[in-house]
Amino acid sequence: MTDAEKLTLLRDLLLDEDRNFANKILEKVDTLTDTVNIDEKLSQKVEPIISRKLTSFVEEIPVKLGPTITEALSEQIKNSQDEVVNILFPLLGKMIKKYIQSEMKTLSDNINAQINQKLSFKYWYRKIMSFFSGVSEIDFVLADMAKSKILQLFIIEKGSGLIIARYSNTDTIDEDLLAGMLTAIKSFVEDAFIKGDQNLELIEYELYKIYLQNFPTYYISAVISGKFDAVFKNRVENDLFDFANKHIKKNIGNKQYIEQKLKEYFINA
Amino acid sequence: MLSSKKIVLVGHFGVGKSSLIRRFVKNSFSDDYLVTVGVHIVKKTVHIDNDEITLIIWDIEGKEDMQKLRPSFLLGTSGFIYVFDATRESTYINLSDEINYIETHYPKTNLLTVANKIDLIEKNIFIKIAENYKLKIDYYSSAKTGENVELIFNDLAKNLIK
Ligand SMILES: Nc1nc2c(ncn2[C@@H]2O[C@H](COP(=O)(O)OP(=O)(O)OP(=O)(O)O)[C@@H](O)[C@H]2O)c(=O)[nH]1
Ligand SMILES: [Mg+2]
Repeated sequence: MTDAEKLTLLRDLLLDEDRNFANKILEKVDTLTDTVNIDEKLSQKVEPIISRKLTSFVEEIPVKLGPTITEALSEQIKNSQDEVVNILFPLLGKMIKKYIQSEMKTLSDNINAQINQKLSFKYWYRKIMSFFSGVSEIDFVLADMAKSKILQLFIIEKGSGLIIARYSNTDTIDEDLLAGMLTAIKSFVEDAFIKGDQNLELIEYELYKIYLQNFPTYYISAVISGKFDAVFKNRVENDLFDFANKHIKKNIGNKQYIEQKLKEYFINA
Repeated sequence: MLSSKKIVLVGHFGVGKSSLIRRFVKNSFSDDYLVTVGVHIVKKTVHIDNDEITLIIWDIEGKEDMQKLRPSFLLGTSGFIYVFDATRESTYINLSDEINYIETHYPKTNLLTVANKIDLIEKNIFIKIAENYKLKIDYYSSAKTGENVELIFNDLAKNLIK
């Protein structure tokens, strides 16, 4: 077999996988449509992502998998498609994870739109500041973004997704539903795509990131704006462990107490 | 005191889980069938005497077999509503096995069984069929007409407060 032939064969195999995969995505898109009720908009958003990801996936094959594949190919490809699928599976798994994340993103576009509306004084603040200072609006946006900050914090019971306690300075999203959805997504992603004792740690969307930290019976989810780098992550992680030790451990049923402590923590932060 | 409880509707595809929830939460109905994929979560607060309870309702995809459901969707559930379609034998023929499965795997939870789409079949006829199959049925409902829908959720909420 020439290299070109091998590549064609491989591409066929991959596209087969992709087709199944695309079907799955389509099913999920259906749910989202159901959930968010904006059929056309949603599929317009998701379809380009799918084709973009597929393209970049196909482009990445020769670079990332070239050596491994060529070796396996010459041996196995004729009568053993499973082998190839096995090699590719870890990569596909990662892609799927990314999709889930980007779906979350689409879903949350809606939520964001709500937040933006409610927080529109910020928009005006920026406009006015930029008018008077001559600094471009976008710089203000960037400066805003750079400040890493926890906007909302939920302590959520594992499994049920019920809120044990919360801190929030915005009042726009229905927190019960967000907590439930997060829990569903988290466990879905964890049992479908992540093996071993890894956890879904971060869901990104737009300017926000939702950081998830696990404890035995609950997890803490922090909605963060700004840059989420290793330094900030470390700080958040330590703070949350600290907080859990001091205040949650012995007071798990005492919502009022935990929320009071959360408030104090945020005032002092 | 305000408390929240997770409840889940289970049963085969297309038996009317989403429709019952929609009737209960939004008091509306549609003849269109939109398959639920994964899970969709809604909530409603109900008042019982002097108590208030928020039901966090998980509307999950239908499966012909409880064992095929993603267990993570069912964790932490306080109440189950097992729904079947009174017009389709295949959705209730395994009812007692399904009830058994829930009772052994999720003890300490509340479970109600519901024969839905009762508007499509003569009730007396169905009651005879149910006797034949020895079905344990707590409620007969119709998401379309709204019959008993409110009652089912309210009774479940009452059980959860006890
Ligand atoms: N006549 C009648 N039709 C109903 C009733 N409940 C649901 N339907 C119809 O049955 C179909 C399926 O209803 P859904 O509520 O989507 O069923 P589901 O159990 O959520 O289905 P999955 O999400 O696939 O598991 C829809 O076309 C509904 O309009 C009812 O009480 N009476
Ligand atoms: Mg449904």
